[in-house]
Amino acid sequence: MTLQSMEIGQTADVQSISLAHDTSRRLEMLGLTGGTEIKLLNKKKNGAVIVKVRGTRFAFGREIARGIEVETENGK
Amino acid sequence: MENNETERRELRVAFIGNPNCGKTTLFNAYTGANLKVANWPGVTVEKKEGSYKFQGQEFKLIDLPGIYSLTSYTMEERVSRMCILSDEVDVIVDVADASALERNLYLTLQLIELGKPVVMALNMMDIVEERGMEIDLHRMQEMLGIPVIPVSARKKTGLEQLMHAVLHHRDASARHRIEHHHKVGENAQLHAEYALVYSDGIEEEIARLENVFEDRYPDMTNRRWHAIKYLENDSDVMGEFPVESFDPESFESRMINEKYDFIEEVIAEVLVNRDEKSAMTDRIDRVLTHRIWGVPVFLGIMALVFALTFTVGDWLKGYFEAALEVFSDGVSGLLSAVGAGELITSLLVDGIIAGVGGILTFLPNIVILFIALAVLEDSGYMSRVAYVMDGLMGKIGLSGRAFIPMLLGFGCTVPAVMASRALEDKRDRLRTMFVTPFMSCSARLPVYVLLSQMFFGKWAGIAAFSMYVIGLFMAILVALIVSKCSKKYEEHTLLIELPEYKTPNPHTIFIYVWDKVKDYLTKAGTTIFLASIVLWFLLNFNQHGLVSDMGESFAAGIAKFLVPVMKPTGLGYWQIIVALISGIAAKEVVVSSMSVLYGVANISSAEGMAALSGALGSVGFTAVNAYAMMIFVLLYIPCVATLATIKRESGSVKFMLGTMAMQLLTAWIMSALVFNIASLIF
Repeated sequence: MTLQSMEIGQTADVQSISLAHDTSRRLEMLGLTGGTEIKLLNKKKNGAVIVKVRGTRFAFGREIARGIEVETENGK
Repeated sequence: MENNETERRELRVAFIGNPNCGKTTLFNAYTGANLKVANWPGVTVEKKEGSYKFQGQEFKLIDLPGIYSLTSYTMEERVSRMCILSDEVDVIVDVADASALERNLYLTLQLIELGKPVVMALNMMDIVEERGMEIDLHRMQEMLGIPVIPVSARKKTGLEQLMHAVLHHRDASARHRIEHHHKVGENAQLHAEYALVYSDGIEEEIARLENVFEDRYPDMTNRRWHAIKYLENDSDVMGEFPVESFDPESFESRMINEKYDFIEEVIAEVLVNRDEKSAMTDRIDRVLTHRIWGVPVFLGIMALVFALTFTVGDWLKGYFEAALEVFSDGVSGLLSAVGAGELITSLLVDGIIAGVGGILTFLPNIVILFIALAVLEDSGYMSRVAYVMDGLMGKIGLSGRAFIPMLLGFGCTVPAVMASRALEDKRDRLRTMFVTPFMSCSARLPVYVLLSQMFFGKWAGIAAFSMYVIGLFMAILVALIVSKCSKKYEEHTLLIELPEYKTPNPHTIFIYVWDKVKDYLTKAGTTIFLASIVLWFLLNFNQHGLVSDMGESFAAGIAKFLVPVMKPTGLGYWQIIVALISGIAAKEVVVSSMSVLYGVANISSAEGMAALSGALGSVGFTAVNAYAMMIFVLLYIPCVATLATIKRESGSVKFMLGTMAMQLLTAWIMSALVFNIASLIF
């Protein structure tokens, strides 16, 4: 599933990022590398999200939230 | 290098770090308000320099833009990298936020790879301790091979220790010993020398490239760094040092992953009692970024900001006016006592004091507005606004992040237009620049305050506040039209860090506000001073010399041409047109010109306003005309400084002229609309 379909308060691991080259590298540099734990803190109707990764909060717009594939603990 | 260093007495230290790591606070703690702000050559990224003295050693401190990494994807990153690599910098101070150590270490690793002396200033250790965490500094120094100095920029602790470390590590060869607990045997040599050793495949590539460089570019310093950048397919390095035999496969993603793997190793060893709480920020965010309440809360905060600006500001303004009146009367008295001619008295009192002094009385309003903006920024709320407004901004084809430059536009359009460069997409940047001038800047405030106090009595505050709402509305409307007219719908996306909330730092705010006040005073002393003199001349002379009636002066002659054009907007008076034209120099000049035009010495005092409204009323200029004028001033051509900034940021004269034409047209249409509709009603 993608970051977008996570629920508020849920934690998952980053699987892969399928976005434009520069955006993907940028996200990796900010610490969203494979296997990193990511927690969804908040999301909005328009699809923007707030996440916590490696102790830092980020806000991502809908397009980025859709492009990040994650895996939750129970293996979905 | 060595020779230069002994010849040069000052030690040049660059401060670098992630955004929100407290780097500027730390920099300010050393330099105070005593700093030089300029732009990097050729680009509009801000460059701050200050000096500091410690143990008889002169330091030149350079504050670099906040960045997450040293790639060449953004202008800030490129500028920082060029500066650090150049001979301009002897020692790098890497400011790291201890409460977000994991992410901050990424930049640290890149800095270490550069091969220059690096000292880490570990900031916000107090926050870390409050949360019951501990960082094993000794182990961290061992693993990274650089000195790590705990500091608190806010409490000003550790400042001398940091400079002491800088002084003693200015020589790259005096490095710390690196000790890792790696599996024995593999790359032992590399592990002794470099903090971060990549996997075998990558290390082989690095070694191969280092050999190529050795043959082709014998003068190249730090081959390892260049090789690493090559493997990341860094366009700047590849362009500067072309190598034919290089297979352009990018290892960038793998290398980023390996850096984070190493960071995880470091964190596991140095961080004790790792804690994920930071409950305070989460609690505040539950309200401020709430999916329903987020927008109303933001609007409430902005309403409060403007309420403070108008109420407290106007109260303080009273004292400034009283002081100006005393001064103006004193000068008049003095001049007549020494028997100065009428012309000189007129130039000094009606020209310069009326023009420049009138502007100075608005200083309290402007100071309060800038304090409020500084508090929003320093507390960490500003980046939340980007998230909160992302929905609305998405509808007009922009990312939520574009709202930050627009919000800064309430302060001054020049830095606001510059702030648009934080947007990654060029088209986003241009669109943001296109509409940012509609956000009513503080220079327009004097015009609203003056006109609304003259014509709207107890509704003055609301009349002035409505300008901000109309400006925001026009910015959104124009952005929407542009977005609908552009060929295809592009996806815009938000990416911004939300820092922990913190109590704003008075020193940081003081420096921010003082910087803006200095700008305002400088402008009053230069642009407005000159404009007042030129205007006084144009109003008192024509080709035949001194005129007794301003209506026959040069200025009137030019403005009278435009009277028919401006008639439909309710502004078809030559005096008003002169004021508007001179306002292009700086928006405050509209007010100072009115005082010169109508010969009112203390324009913002009660008597001054009574005199001015009397003069205006006698020619049929009523509240409706005044409101149309406020709208015109809000929307028409921005000041010269803004135009120059737009030209520089967009790199296009055509774009600047387009912005100008669009704004002039919008101003004319809107004020004509309001004037005619309001004239029917009232």
